[in-house]
Amino acid sequence: MSVSKLNKQQFGQFVDAILAAGRKVVGVVAKNDRFVFNTLKSAKDLRLDYDVTILSPRKYVLPQVEPLLTFEVGGDAKSVKQNEPMILLGIHPYDLIAINQMDELFSEGEYDTHYMDRRKNITLVACDVAKASKNVFASSMETAVADKGYDILITDIGDAYLLDAATEKGQALMAYAKGAAAATAEDLKKRNAIQEANKTGLNKHKLNCKPSYLPKLMETAYNHPVWEEKARLCYSCGSCNQVCPTCYCFDVQDRVNWDLKTGTRVRCWDGCLLENFATVAGNHNFRKDRSARFRHRLYRKAKYVPEKIGGQIACVGCGRCVTACTADIANPVTVYNRLMEERTIG
Amino acid sequence: MCECCGNGQKDIYLPQMATITKHRMLNGTEFYMHLELDSGKELGHTPGQFVEVSIAGLGEAPISISSSPTQKGFELVVRNVGSLTKAIHKLTAGQKVGIRGPFGSVYPVELAKGRDLVFICGGIGLVPQRSFIRYVLDNRKDYGKVTVLVGTKCYDMRLFREELAMWQERKDMTLMETVDESHDCWDGNVGVVTTLIPKIESDLPKSLVLVCGPPVMYKFVLMALSEAEAPAKNIYVNLERRMKCGVGKCGHCQINNLYVCQDGPVFRWSDLTAVPEAI
Amino acid sequence: MTKPRVAIFDFACCEGCQLQIVNLEEEILDLIGTVDVVEWREAMSEQSHDYDIAIIEGSITRLEDEKRIEIIRSRAKILIALGACATIGGVNKLKNNFSITDVKSCVYGKHADMPHLDTYYTKAIDEIVPVDFKVHGCPINGREFAAIVRALLLGKKPFVPDYPVCVECKALENVCRWEYNEPCLGPIIRAGCEAKCPSAGYRCFGCRGYVDHPNVDAAREVIDKYGLSLDDLRTRMVLFGSKQGPTL
Repeated sequence: MSVSKLNKQQFGQFVDAILAAGRKVVGVVAKNDRFVFNTLKSAKDLRLDYDVTILSPRKYVLPQVEPLLTFEVGGDAKSVKQNEPMILLGIHPYDLIAINQMDELFSEGEYDTHYMDRRKNITLVACDVAKASKNVFASSMETAVADKGYDILITDIGDAYLLDAATEKGQALMAYAKGAAAATAEDLKKRNAIQEANKTGLNKHKLNCKPSYLPKLMETAYNHPVWEEKARLCYSCGSCNQVCPTCYCFDVQDRVNWDLKTGTRVRCWDGCLLENFATVAGNHNFRKDRSARFRHRLYRKAKYVPEKIGGQIACVGCGRCVTACTADIANPVTVYNRLMEERTIG
Repeated sequence: MCECCGNGQKDIYLPQMATITKHRMLNGTEFYMHLELDSGKELGHTPGQFVEVSIAGLGEAPISISSSPTQKGFELVVRNVGSLTKAIHKLTAGQKVGIRGPFGSVYPVELAKGRDLVFICGGIGLVPQRSFIRYVLDNRKDYGKVTVLVGTKCYDMRLFREELAMWQERKDMTLMETVDESHDCWDGNVGVVTTLIPKIESDLPKSLVLVCGPPVMYKFVLMALSEAEAPAKNIYVNLERRMKCGVGKCGHCQINNLYVCQDGPVFRWSDLTAVPEAI
Repeated sequence: MTKPRVAIFDFACCEGCQLQIVNLEEEILDLIGTVDVVEWREAMSEQSHDYDIAIIEGSITRLEDEKRIEIIRSRAKILIALGACATIGGVNKLKNNFSITDVKSCVYGKHADMPHLDTYYTKAIDEIVPVDFKVHGCPINGREFAAIVRALLLGKKPFVPDYPVCVECKALENVCRWEYNEPCLGPIIRAGCEAKCPSAGYRCFGCRGYVDHPNVDAAREVIDKYGLSLDDLRTRMVLFGSKQGPTL
């Protein structure tokens, strides 16, 4: 499909036209000196020049708290869905790839209708990274650009935006774009230059191997001293899980209304670094050492999840965990590089 | 087309209702119940599987199925360890619980045909094992020698006592029982279940051995089995973990790369050699 | 089903936690609808010795209060400690850092020896009698209190987080206070407050007490990475952390 071009004023009008049509748009906006995904009220609030958002757009794909069922206490239950149509606007390629992975995880094996029905109602509008964040390493993870998985991909080429509508959903949204011109060969060259630059330039932490080598690397790393050395400083605060775009573990809780007769069964974010993640009724904790929990996360990213989704590495190099970790131990690159250097240990 | 969600897929988190037809306490902490699905259908499980049992408002928990699919309805045994299980203990005939499942892997009911079987059960490990034992007894001619070892912490905690007494009487199986602590009313074996392993008469290197018990038991039993030259590929373990969703999504029951709710709870021991979190 | 009879008592405290209950506004009517409040000095004049659930605000600072809490405990089926003073001793425990004579003369001057001012070291409720449930915080989080009450009415163990404040703080997309070089206690303090202080631009003061297994060793080393000293952290733990749980 062809790539369209909108100058910056036309692009603002495009976004405002979508909003005026009553569509729910979630976009990147400023929160003090950082950025977050939030409900967009006007095109002028949109910040496609952002570096990284505090949380990834996962919070809209897999909400922090999501109702699954409503029930009568001690009685019957019925399904509820949270699947309001929305447009997620301004997703960086690494976050997009994380969403695409989650789509596979919630549809493979047992099909999760709650996730998938919501997901089908979401339009993914990605945008190429305009500014590297302080800890991004997407270039190392080969997730700095995306050539699929989006409905529309936006690239800022300076005086204008290029919009690449790749799906029917994306095409339908383009109906709001007034005055769009076809991108010229010159425009596409500019886009290409930006994407090529990102392929190597979003790399504040350099992984010393191809990401595809990680599952192999982990085969002999299980008893390496790095787990204990790093985890010694782990607060088990789960910050790395919370900010991760690929983490999707959840807890399920029953919440009862004041009538004490009705309530809602909800799922909410959980994290494998939290102390009681693997504790069963009767209080036996199957992963009680900090180092075992710390190791589990990095094995999930590099080996366990990839085994489920055709080898895709479940770390997309957004760098959020590096920023979020107070103890400065969460950086996956530091750990994987260490394992690379000491492949014979463990 | 599914009624609950309006598309072709069913809601994997929606329980179906089941009614309690019989119930009793097996000891001070274990509550037995026989259930039938309100749909009128059978649960359709294979020995080794579990269900997610819920009382809406109080939560949901994974519970092993204790009955054989050869009988009508299904049986569960619930230990009183929290608010949900405490509430289950108060239920009576005619009352309902929510059921999802059956979930998980199964005992090798086909592969086991013609083989000698050794069941090693520690404490409530008897509960899921009973499903397969009863299945074998209902299809007795299909299987070789049947040996059941049952270890219980103390005399008062013994489960399914009448049934064990019946098994003791049967000529077509061997039951050996032990309690960890001696008791005035008990004149049988005293000691942990591993002490019974040398007494097994079946040819252990050729038998299928099925093990289920508390986490602490596996290491010792597996060590004793290894000494008795039972090969790892003939040993099956039934593991407990926090199977929260039952459908391989939530992550709580993971042991390394495996999901106990989907890849387990029944594992061939030889498949777990590279899974250090298993035991 | 008869409604459970609830009595609310206060000891050494500012009564701010009870105020949080009153502040539940719409929910207070639901609460009153599901329970029978038989004694609550802050909100009503009736008194009763017959109750199922006793809710205790405040810490124990006098010998006669020990006797009073023991009597309440003997009458109640369930005893709930409400707020930091009751759960961990709270701000009141600051005085435990000094000699009791100094504290008394500093506060009461020449009246320090008057019998009605006889005070001793501060104790949390569970230092005197067993506590069934704790509603943490200074002040409590009204929503959490409401959820705990509903759970108890259903005979269900209330959900109280066993993980640090960071979980809720990150979920709210706050920038970590440590990024501003501010020693925040979030990583070692129990969540459930919905990260109110960091959300308002302050560090965590630690009012909910420590998580079950705080990584104190990490705290000691991590402080170095930020170019701060152990004393920078210690001084921030004094307010709610005095003579309570793990110390640095």
